[in-house]
Amino acid sequence: MQRINLGEFEELVLLITAVLHENAYGISVLQEIEAQTGRQINISAVHSALDRLEQKGYLKSYLGGATNERGGRRKRLFSVTASGAKALSDVKEMRNTLYDQIPKVTLKLNFV
Amino acid sequence: MTDQHLPEPPGWALKLLHWYCKPRYLEAIEGDLYELFDLRCQSAGEKVARRGFVWDVVRFFRWKYIKGLENSKRLNQFDMWKNYFKISLRSLWRQKFYSVINITGLSVGIACCLLIIIYIKHELSYDRFWKDGDRIYRIAINDRGPYTPTRLGSFLKSDYPEVESYTRLNGLYDFSFAIGDNVFSEPGGSLADSTVFEVFDVKFIEGTPQGALSEPNTVVLTKSVADKYFPHETAVGKIIKSSGDAVKITAVVEDPPANSHMPFKYLVAMPHEYWATTGWWTGNNFFTYVKLAEGASEEAFEVKILDFMRKHMAKDLMETYHYDNFDDYLASDDSYRFTLVPIQEIHLNYPRLTLAESAGDMDNIYIFSAVAFFILLIACINFINLSTARSGSRSKEVGIRKVLGSVRGELIRQFMVESFLISIFSLGLAILLSLVALPYFNDLSGKQFQSMDLITMDNMLWLTLLLTAVGIIAGSYPALYLSSFKPVAALKGELKSGKSGSFLRKALVSFQFAISIFLVIATVIVYQQINHMTNQKLGFNSSNTMVIKAGSALKDSGPFFRSKLLENPNIGSVAASTTYPSQFVGDWGYSTVGDVKDNDSLYTMFADSYYLETMGVELAQGRFFSRELASDTASIVLNEAAVRELGWDDPIGQRLERSEGVLTVIGVVKDFNFSSLKRKIGSLAIRYDPEIHKTRWGSAYYLARVNGNYQETVNYLNELWGTTAPEEPFDYDFVDQAFAKLYESEAKFGKIFTVFSALAILIACLGLFAMAAYTLEKRFKEIAIRKVLGASVFSITTLVLSDFTKLILFGSIIAVPLAFYVMNQWLQEFAYRMELGIVVFLMPVLAVTLLAWLTVIYQSLKTATGNPVNALKQE
Repeated sequence: MQRINLGEFEELVLLITAVLHENAYGISVLQEIEAQTGRQINISAVHSALDRLEQKGYLKSYLGGATNERGGRRKRLFSVTASGAKALSDVKEMRNTLYDQIPKVTLKLNFV
Repeated sequence: MTDQHLPEPPGWALKLLHWYCKPRYLEAIEGDLYELFDLRCQSAGEKVARRGFVWDVVRFFRWKYIKGLENSKRLNQFDMWKNYFKISLRSLWRQKFYSVINITGLSVGIACCLLIIIYIKHELSYDRFWKDGDRIYRIAINDRGPYTPTRLGSFLKSDYPEVESYTRLNGLYDFSFAIGDNVFSEPGGSLADSTVFEVFDVKFIEGTPQGALSEPNTVVLTKSVADKYFPHETAVGKIIKSSGDAVKITAVVEDPPANSHMPFKYLVAMPHEYWATTGWWTGNNFFTYVKLAEGASEEAFEVKILDFMRKHMAKDLMETYHYDNFDDYLASDDSYRFTLVPIQEIHLNYPRLTLAESAGDMDNIYIFSAVAFFILLIACINFINLSTARSGSRSKEVGIRKVLGSVRGELIRQFMVESFLISIFSLGLAILLSLVALPYFNDLSGKQFQSMDLITMDNMLWLTLLLTAVGIIAGSYPALYLSSFKPVAALKGELKSGKSGSFLRKALVSFQFAISIFLVIATVIVYQQINHMTNQKLGFNSSNTMVIKAGSALKDSGPFFRSKLLENPNIGSVAASTTYPSQFVGDWGYSTVGDVKDNDSLYTMFADSYYLETMGVELAQGRFFSRELASDTASIVLNEAAVRELGWDDPIGQRLERSEGVLTVIGVVKDFNFSSLKRKIGSLAIRYDPEIHKTRWGSAYYLARVNGNYQETVNYLNELWGTTAPEEPFDYDFVDQAFAKLYESEAKFGKIFTVFSALAILIACLGLFAMAAYTLEKRFKEIAIRKVLGASVFSITTLVLSDFTKLILFGSIIAVPLAFYVMNQWLQEFAYRMELGIVVFLMPVLAVTLLAWLTVIYQSLKTATGNPVNALKQE
């Protein structure tokens, strides 16, 4: 299996972007992460992660239309590319495979 | 909506964002920040939102958003530098062994330099802190004599307008104070005129300069003394008792800094009015300081003092030295001149003029600088040697780089970065090392440096300079040499062993060992000379003679004290005199009685009739003083040196004259060392004073021959003293210890040399160790083939050792003659010199050779005993 170069935070951002579908930009990702996980993150970290994912080819971005909010600035909207979607599913598949192999005893001991 | 106040984010933060942010990302980031700002305004208020906005702008200051870095040319350059560092670190890491040796050597060298820099800076800073310090001069006699006539200062001031102010000082003395019932002896007391504060801008804490010392029996304390005796109260206005007088404290001043040639602890007013107004012009008893007006020339003023001498002093001088004409006197050997010595030069250049216990020495500063420089040089040589030696193994790298389009400048930069990295690492380590070594250095140098003195802006500046210099010196040769390779030759491996550098390497190693051997020889000679001096026959019994100081405090109970001393079974005999061996002896003028008056100066001391037997001085002719003959106060005993100087064949019965009267020579004692062994034994005159404890001629000392049980005897004396002279603390010394103190500076010099030469050898051996490792690695196959062809381990080991021995012997050929010349010069200042035999030169050379062998032999043996198959099978 090809190694998927995806950090923990990057994976989270990639997932959220996929969840937000067509409405993923800095603030919406930030708010969604806060809502879904309760993590407090600085906006610059989100931008940085989004840019990194775009560099890796998992995301693509385009500028949205101008509005009166945001001081008239346009949004930079992100959407998941094909390789991004593949990366997500690969990661998930690997997780599941590994998870299924865990002996039941260990899980019981841990979760009881 | 329009008239409503719309919250706006802080403008300056926006400007900042615009300034640094790449335009590609700017709009999206700005928009998000605006949105966040609005959200926060609604949820937490405008204030919080503004703060959040600023914080976010700061957080966006990230590598990838910063403008300017996308410029392709600059980016490339930047990447190249990043690459230089990366490659340098890798190559340092790969060659751990060499890197450690380089860094250790360099950091020891730099640490030495740093310590010596602070030492030299301290020495050069003496008396620079006085206001108008460049206009304050000390008046000395012929640049050497510290004492000047009583009225010199005051008359100069009234005669010449360019003398802005003057003052006289004396000291430093130990005074004893009684505060309540407790008696203290406090060192660092100076007698001073009230004008002292016009010359020196002493800072007042309490009281004022006006009238602080204008009356007798007043004293100005420094803060340290005031705090010591009056810890929680004000000292000003308190009365303390000193030798029966009530002395008033009139002011408290700041302590003079440690870098002063007059480290007084308190200033005592001149006790007598007539000391200022009367006095012979030939009696020199005071230190005179003058402050010249701005723009006044030192040379011009020295010429004027000559007129001054003619006007005021001619009569006294002609009388004393028996001249009829003042010009004859000036032309004669008896005459002297007053000279002006800038106070800022006293510490280093005029050791006789300082009031402090020890003066500095310009020579020591030169020697220290040279030694520090040489140690650093040895470390740099290590670096150069190792880098050039390893050039062979890096020639392929250079070749590949050149083929891939690297120009020479880039290669030079690569190697310079490497050398700077090493020097930066060494610098960090050096600062740590010097902090650790600071207490020991303080011990050696006798100074009190704090860690804070090391880490000052100034020193950091010096270190940066040093770092740059070391980086350039150590890095330039490898950089230039390695970068000059022709790529084809480098890749073909024609430069494998770095042959062209091998002569230079050998020369540098020889040079390192020349320096090391020189330092070892110097150390050996310094120590031998100290031994030689301390083993000299002193001509008297020094080992168990105890000196009880401040005998004049006994007053009338002197004879009682003496008899009590003799009651103690540990004390053999007791004498009294005005001085004791190792101490200063006054130089008095005498003239012969007869038609032709001959002037001679003799070191003069007074003693009682027990002096000879107590000190163990031998009589050569005639007799010593007798307590039965009161007329012996008009007698005089000379030493053999004095008889020689006076040129008498039959000295007994000859007469000498002085203002007090005519003295008849009754005996001659054998020469004994009454001052220091650095000088020849001078002409000594001993005169009789049966009651030394009441002497007018100087201090009174009791000399006791102690036959053992020293501690018990000291306790006994302490108690006895407490009951006989309660106003004065008990103070004593032993003659042999006092003598040893005279050679303290030589002993210190020896210690410093030992430390530095040890360091120098250490670094040189480190370098040798690495060189040996390298050379043997290169000769691995050669040695294996020799072995296969039948060479023994012994013959191979000697082969390798002889190569290095040649280098050391070559170094010693340079070092030995140089050491002979330099150390011979150094010995010239001693009257009793050791013989410079062959041994003092041979031993260090042998020792260093042996040490070098030890360094190399492990690796040689390892190579020589290795299985040749291992060496030969790899290809």
